[in-house]
Amino acid sequence: MRRKASFSVILILLLSPFLGGVAFAQVQVRVRVMEASNVGSGFDSSLRDLHDQLGSLFSFSSYRLLKDETVSLPLNHPVSLPIPPERSLELTFINQHRVTAEIRVKITRGGRDLLTTMVRLAPGRSVSIGGPNPKRGEGTIITALSRP
Amino acid sequence: MKRECSSISRLLEKYFDQEVTPEERSLVEGHLPDCSACRMALETMQNLKILIKNPVEEAVEKETFPWVWEKIERGIRQEEKPGLWESLWSWLDMISLRKKKILIPAVAAVVILILITAPLIYEKMSSYPVLSVVEYVESDTYNVMIYEREAPQVTVIWLFEGPEEEPLTS
Repeated sequence: MRRKASFSVILILLLSPFLGGVAFAQVQVRVRVMEASNVGSGFDSSLRDLHDQLGSLFSFSSYRLLKDETVSLPLNHPVSLPIPPERSLELTFINQHRVTAEIRVKITRGGRDLLTTMVRLAPGRSVSIGGPNPKRGEGTIITALSRP
Repeated sequence: MKRECSSISRLLEKYFDQEVTPEERSLVEGHLPDCSACRMALETMQNLKILIKNPVEEAVEKETFPWVWEKIERGIRQEEKPGLWESLWSWLDMISLRKKKILIPAVAAVVILILITAPLIYEKMSSYPVLSVVEYVESDTYNVMIYEREAPQVTVIWLFEGPEEEPLTS
């Protein structure tokens, strides 16, 4: 009996790292909304980790952080948060494959769907959603989603 | 008489060990009442047996001989040819903490090592088999471009107002 108990304890200890992903079906996603423009110059310090990504793709001279929020997403429960300008971002944690989370992203404006996408985010990976291109003298909004 | 005694005395040991035939037994038992020398020899054998037997039995009673029992158990197990599950149990029994207390730190170290390394290995193996971060994109309002690169890891979904608009790249 004691042998069985000790064996079970060892088994649970060995499997605990693998069971963790299943047992705690919740992921954290960092949402950063920035305004990219050619008015002025500078890169907000909170966006430093995105500098290489954005700098290699876009020619904006200025990136200004408008919103930085980390949200916890329970499995299959949509979480909405307002993002500028007058848009709503809805995130739904759909599935998890090992450490990679499948997240459905929906951006709406006044109840109208602007974009729906499904992204796979592993820790340290980010996805930026931006556009449309700015009109003269205006900035464009880029929303970066990342796993802390 | 002397010759008879000589031949009987050769049988005495066998008689004492109860290894004689019925004929030999009757021969010895017929001789013993008349021969004090053979009686004495038989008595000596009995005394010797008692002298040896008692201390040995006492020692056996006091001693549990665990190693003998383990050897017997091992023999029985080998004969039974146990299955995989039984083999695992016997292995666990072999490293049983109560029997080999010296193994406690070693087992603890191994468990800690596994707990530390398993998540790292797990994380290394954990990437999706497909490279694409974006599974799908739908938009009724905008045209959409997806840009993905692995080194450095870049994934951008860019919206366009109309088909004539060009991506804004550096």
